[in-house]
Amino acid sequence: MNSLPENTWELNEVARNTDILSEISSEFDIEANPGTTSNLQFYDDFDSHLWKANYLLCQVNKQQFQLIDPSGCIGEVGASSGARFWWEFSGNQVKDKLQSLVGLRAVLPIASINLLETDFSLRNDDQKIVVRGRLTQTMVGNKIGLYLTLQALRGYAKYYTRAAQLLRHFIKAEINHFGLRFLLMVQGIQALEPKQGALLSLTEDMRTEQAVRAMATAMLVQTKLYVGGVIADTDTEFLHQFRVNVRKLRSLISLLKQALPTSMLDTLKPRLSSIAGKTNKLRDLDVFILAQDSYRAMLPANFESGLNELYRLIEKQRKQEKNKVAKYLSSTEYRNDVATCAAELSQSSAFQTPMASKPVLQAVKKLLLKRYHKMLAMSAAINSQSADEKIHELRIEFKKLRYLIEFFVDLLPKKRTGKIVSEIKKIQTVLGNYNDYCIQIEFLNSYIDDTRIEMSKALSGLIAILYRKKTEERPKVEGALADFFTENMTIEFDLVFEAAETGDSE
Amino acid sequence: MKVIACYSMKGGVGKTATAVNLAYWAAKSGLKTLLIDLDPQGASSFYFRIKPSSKKWAKRFFNAYENLVKHIKASDFENLDIIPAHLSFRNFDTLLAGFKKRKNRLKRVLKGFNKEYDLVILDCPPSISYLSESIFIASNLVLVPVIPTPLSERTFEQLMAFFEENDYPQNKIVPFFSMVQGQKSLHKATMEAMSARYKMFLNTIIPYSSDIEKMGVHKAPVDVFAKSQQANYAYIKLWKEVSETARKCG
Repeated sequence: MNSLPENTWELNEVARNTDILSEISSEFDIEANPGTTSNLQFYDDFDSHLWKANYLLCQVNKQQFQLIDPSGCIGEVGASSGARFWWEFSGNQVKDKLQSLVGLRAVLPIASINLLETDFSLRNDDQKIVVRGRLTQTMVGNKIGLYLTLQALRGYAKYYTRAAQLLRHFIKAEINHFGLRFLLMVQGIQALEPKQGALLSLTEDMRTEQAVRAMATAMLVQTKLYVGGVIADTDTEFLHQFRVNVRKLRSLISLLKQALPTSMLDTLKPRLSSIAGKTNKLRDLDVFILAQDSYRAMLPANFESGLNELYRLIEKQRKQEKNKVAKYLSSTEYRNDVATCAAELSQSSAFQTPMASKPVLQAVKKLLLKRYHKMLAMSAAINSQSADEKIHELRIEFKKLRYLIEFFVDLLPKKRTGKIVSEIKKIQTVLGNYNDYCIQIEFLNSYIDDTRIEMSKALSGLIAILYRKKTEERPKVEGALADFFTENMTIEFDLVFEAAETGDSE
Repeated sequence: MKVIACYSMKGGVGKTATAVNLAYWAAKSGLKTLLIDLDPQGASSFYFRIKPSSKKWAKRFFNAYENLVKHIKASDFENLDIIPAHLSFRNFDTLLAGFKKRKNRLKRVLKGFNKEYDLVILDCPPSISYLSESIFIASNLVLVPVIPTPLSERTFEQLMAFFEENDYPQNKIVPFFSMVQGQKSLHKATMEAMSARYKMFLNTIIPYSSDIEKMGVHKAPVDVFAKSQQANYAYIKLWKEVSETARKCG
């Protein structure tokens, strides 16, 4: 069966509803409903996750929200007007969808549209409805948009064609996919613009120092994007992303230090380390608070009062720590440090070291191989008796190795590098889990307080459980290392990163 | 997809009013509904303000479902489409006489609507013929309006006997009392007797009502112009009972 025509057109600014309906009344009897007005407020997170996944979260009145996908509204749910996180919405379907789309991100208002919609029907001489229509008027600030939608009814297509013909002189342009998404696009919502800084186009023969300076500058710009959200405490992801970007920047500098002048390292390293260090405590507290449900599930009910006391303390500390970080990120000290780093990075390349003037791809491949073989040796020294620090060191090495590949992924052979990265991710998960238990135990230990008996009991309970989990996880570490450092992997590293001619020819 | 026929071999018993109002309520309840007006008089098409096609197309009706699709028209109501009748439908019996396996023809063409519709309602002409037999085979339920008078009782007995003689399952027959005038003792007595004899009568009774007659004036289902009237409530109740019966019939 052929689908029925339905079209929307943008109308000339001067067109008025009455003119349009009067024009069409020359051949049809019109039945127009009173227009309905609505003010719709749209929400999305900082990364526009909803928009990118083709969803819209729309506040239709004070406490009602609709989650809309391309097929229409998938659920209308209640939430207070200050709701920001998925768990603050009602209705399981909407909550689950929001959780999967925005995770820990807060949704914030990004745009609003005022709509006046007038539905009408056109009847033929038999008084049968033969075409349905809608006039949509949008108001954004002082700008008014006027749209006409006509829908043919099955068996009455010729009337639809005639109605469209009658109105042709009001028409400015045909709209292909009319709807709320279209109306938002027309508004050019800034919040929906990509958040990434200017994309770098690296070339393999770019000189290493130049490449590193350009990349580091872009990363520094990227970190600045999250500062506002950390200060406003919009959601915990702002701090997390801020830290990830600072960490990547530090890794880049550290990994390619041989290509950079000593003066630059002396300027950047301590400053970036200081910036990162200032946010450590807040992140630890965030992680502990986010894991609250799983911690509570670990202990029987009689530990509840102790856990409540612990969480009250942590929440209080978080508040203090958040204020401290916000104050720091608003300070002259922070701004000066960032400005100094930016100024240093923007200097012309000095080419003081042999690596500085080497083609970047060549330098990176060499580095990747060197690091891999270093890690291979480190891994060989690890056994069931090795100290946690040794595993931690290797975990950091894996993180750096992956960053190094990802920084230059556009220059490396895509398929084979992709496979290596996916193997690195697997082992990182195992090492990460083990490290998380170590960190959590250490974190909880720091709260043991003999004067708070109930709280300390709960802490001891959690530590005991986490210790058992850590012990269970330990054998997996050696297993994962053995799975990763195979003869084939060594050959693959040698082939992909050593031979210049090795590409995606497989 | 379910197929419900509104059928009686007797005319003027309220078949069309039933088909129109049930189709309306089915669509309103969210079922994608197709009403096929098989009666060449075209009364149900008229109630929905739909004119028949200018071309005679009865000849192609039983050939393939694609022929029917071309004649579907949207009603003024969401989820409800209609295939209007054409005067040439009066020749259906002659046409069916020329087909092999004529009794299965209607069932075969209706099968094509399976994907698009949840319910097909057939508004049938008053006769007992090849077409009627096709209808009995194609339908899950044969809804029979019965005016509680001796003549209607006799007609209903004839229908039951016809089903028995031809081995059609009698449990497809779902009768209900129609155009009932409560003040008439004859109506009361006939209803009592028939309900006692035939347990399959629905509980819903459609009263004799000027609102139902006015459908012709308003060219619309009763709900559109007599929302709060008894007749409208009766059709709502009838739809609930029929949909429940249809659900149970598998």
